[in-house]
Amino acid sequence: MTAGPQPPELSHGGMNAEARAAHSLTYWQLVRRRFARNSYAMSGLAGCILVILTAVFAGFIAPYAPQTSDRSLLYTPPQWVKFHEPGEGFQRPFVYGFSESMDPNTFEITFEPDPEMKSVIRFFVQGSEWTFLGMTFETHLFGTDSGARVHLLGTDNLGRDVFSRVIWGTRISLLMGFLVMAAALLIGTVVGVTAGFFGGLYDLVIQRVVEFFKAFPDLPLYLALTALLPRRADPIMVFIMFACILVLLRWADLSREIRGKVISMRSLEYVRAAEAVGASNGRILFRHIVPNTSSHLIVWATFQLPEVILLESFLSFLGVGIQQPMISWGVMLNQILDFQSFSAAPWMMSPVGMIILSVLAFNAFGDGLRDAMDPYSNA
Amino acid sequence: MREGNTSKAPLLDVRDVSVDFRTVGGTVRAVRGNSFSVGKGETLALVGESGSGKSVTARAIMRMLAENAEVGGGTKVLFRGRDLMELPETEMQRIRGDRITMIFQEPLTSLNPIYRVGDQVAEIILSHRKVSKAGAKREVIRLLKEVRVPEPEARFSQYPHQLSGGQRQRVMIAMALANEPDLLIADEPTTALDVTIQAEILKLLKDLQSRHGMAIILITHDLGVVRMTSDRVCVMRYGEILEDGTTADVFSNPQHPYTKHLLESEPSGVPDPLPEDTSEVIRGTSMRTVFRIKHGSFLNRRSMDLVAVNDISLKVRAGETLGIVGESGSGKSTLGMSLIRLQQPTAGAIEFRGNRIEGLSKRQMRPLRTDLQVVFQDPFSSLNPRMIVRQILGEGLVVNNIGGSGRERERMIRDALVEVQMDPEVMDRFPNEFSGGQRQRIAIARAIILRPRFILLDEPTSALDLSIQAQIIDLLRELRRRHDLSYLFISHDLKVVKALCHNVIVMQHGNVVEQGPTGKVLQNPETEYTRRLVDAALNPDMA
Repeated sequence: MTAGPQPPELSHGGMNAEARAAHSLTYWQLVRRRFARNSYAMSGLAGCILVILTAVFAGFIAPYAPQTSDRSLLYTPPQWVKFHEPGEGFQRPFVYGFSESMDPNTFEITFEPDPEMKSVIRFFVQGSEWTFLGMTFETHLFGTDSGARVHLLGTDNLGRDVFSRVIWGTRISLLMGFLVMAAALLIGTVVGVTAGFFGGLYDLVIQRVVEFFKAFPDLPLYLALTALLPRRADPIMVFIMFACILVLLRWADLSREIRGKVISMRSLEYVRAAEAVGASNGRILFRHIVPNTSSHLIVWATFQLPEVILLESFLSFLGVGIQQPMISWGVMLNQILDFQSFSAAPWMMSPVGMIILSVLAFNAFGDGLRDAMDPYSNA
Repeated sequence: MREGNTSKAPLLDVRDVSVDFRTVGGTVRAVRGNSFSVGKGETLALVGESGSGKSVTARAIMRMLAENAEVGGGTKVLFRGRDLMELPETEMQRIRGDRITMIFQEPLTSLNPIYRVGDQVAEIILSHRKVSKAGAKREVIRLLKEVRVPEPEARFSQYPHQLSGGQRQRVMIAMALANEPDLLIADEPTTALDVTIQAEILKLLKDLQSRHGMAIILITHDLGVVRMTSDRVCVMRYGEILEDGTTADVFSNPQHPYTKHLLESEPSGVPDPLPEDTSEVIRGTSMRTVFRIKHGSFLNRRSMDLVAVNDISLKVRAGETLGIVGESGSGKSTLGMSLIRLQQPTAGAIEFRGNRIEGLSKRQMRPLRTDLQVVFQDPFSSLNPRMIVRQILGEGLVVNNIGGSGRERERMIRDALVEVQMDPEVMDRFPNEFSGGQRQRIAIARAIILRPRFILLDEPTSALDLSIQAQIIDLLRELRRRHDLSYLFISHDLKVVKALCHNVIVMQHGNVVEQGPTGKVLQNPETEYTRRLVDAALNPDMA
């Protein structure tokens, strides 16, 4: 017989299956174990954590403030971090500065790494101020000992460090993703749960509203937004309006899914049992129905986040999303809208890398979660 | 291989079969080195409670196990002298559905809903034999006739949802018989069916066996079924065969204590005598519950009224247990739910302790909820999987403001658990950690913690294994005595009703067929329908 407490009268010498009451895993323990076994999902989780940490500690990771520009270094290509110098052997990581030269015929400016302008990379250097939770810091992850600038991903048309801007851009891109996802989640859940639970005329009206929103052509709406807003609108204002429109078009699907789940759950016996002990509608909703939709909500959220990030970067790239001086990945890509600047400074495409990384990471994480939460999976 | 010897050797010789499942929680040893054999034309029953490894054994023979299953290295399944474990998959496919066939428990899901019944049977024939389509159709109709599906020509082109559960199981049997197999594995073939249909299906299987001479492995938890159908029995528990012998031997002289325990666990006893002068607790007068079913297209909307409860009156006195018996779809659950207002009755009056309650709103009903409790059929869906036992039992106390302090409530939860013979230490566990019987005890504790006067028991034992059924019935009887409760006991099983109910109402299609004191109804059933129910439950050999 297995260990564990046993009801005294049931023990019949271990006769029946009931006597087996070994402690088994709870649902979330099972989910965690299944998730930990899936290496693709785990690397997704690692990627998500990396992206989120980048956004939170952008000030620390980025060597410069996003608007810091150096007029003498426009469109400089990325500097490669080197460990080996001819004649000197291996040493601390360092970069070469660029010497600028202009072709007298075409007026084309070219940059050549100049061994004379070597600067050694140091970690935890003092630099420009950044604030976090109201506190001000000056330490950055890396910089040079000489104070000369290092541009790992080159500079843009105003001489701003692309690497720093990609790091800072993570903030707005992720913030937009989380805001839109959270608001759509809230609205979708509330609408879906109440429509499914109360049914009747309320449900009928809500469903027609949902259909209206689902029928809305979204791209014209985004374009109309820029037309609606005053030309010199506050960027924060644009950001909020933009988020609102994304939310408006995203809650409808979730509310449909949740409504269906709630309708099937409403007739489940534990819900009727709660009604039988006299529980109020509110209690049945919040203690019994909503917690049992949580796995669906979590998976929906992890899939929604990358979608919003992609959509935001696409719209900002077109110039109808987030406006300067706020920076997101899409806004940065907007700077190379034309082919000329693209061919002159391909390194300005680097936000694409971050977009791919974060979308892949969140999708892998969501995929893994969905598999881990599948009640029928036992592997 | 051993051609000359086959008449002597058993048809199927299973040696040392063992199956492990790799799960997140670790490896589960489902079947542990069992050996048994089946001769030609013989019926072997594998008996055991749920989780004892019966179905896994059968699936291992068919090589139809789930992905995470691992068959032990020493396992040998000799079928007519050939080891099935060593055959390539293509060879195995030729044996499956042809030489060895299988019937499953759930006739509702084992037929594909989008294909016609006839085509599904014909597929089995066409994939194993070279026959023309027309020939296959003739063959299918012959088979449907043989398994006694009414109007086989018309059924051929019907879809599964147009057939009743019993008819679907007959179609499954027709599929299993299509290629005249040597061995038929029937995995709980009658568990999902109504009692009267159960008996018919078992009889059909026996008839077919004697006509075709095939061997049957019958998997069941029901000893009544075993006694009726099988030549030999293997009793299983925790993946091991504990006892193996001829049916007559095992039933008359069980060797293993577990077998004895199983044999003794048929529901027994009689209800406590009911005092003459008790007061009435609940009364329903001319109750009628109608469901409006909408169908038809968007433009051609029609609605149809389904009368689930048709003008039924009943009353339950203090201390009385009233049984409601009928097959599925007879309206017995709807009647019970309407009586305690978990379902809105269409017409009729309900009186609870002298007060009319049929017109009360949901809010007005709430104060009465503590007095009118319910225990549902399925203990797996009646407990919220996200709540621990403490929360499940405490909910009624919190909602109704019973027991002022947290400590007081905890004491009441403890008491309730002790009353249903559970260890109070289980309070902080989730429902998924308990077996079906334990969950049903928790569900009963949730009802009695509110000190009700009346409990609706909606088939509380039908989802449980037989030996646990008996324990739950004893528990219910004891609780009734201790708290002077009244029960309305809904069931399709007259054996259970006999052990628990003073009076009984037999229902069919929403109407009362017969009612009266349990003893009288069971001994002298007045209608044909009641007689069939009684025969199926109490005298299986006569069915």
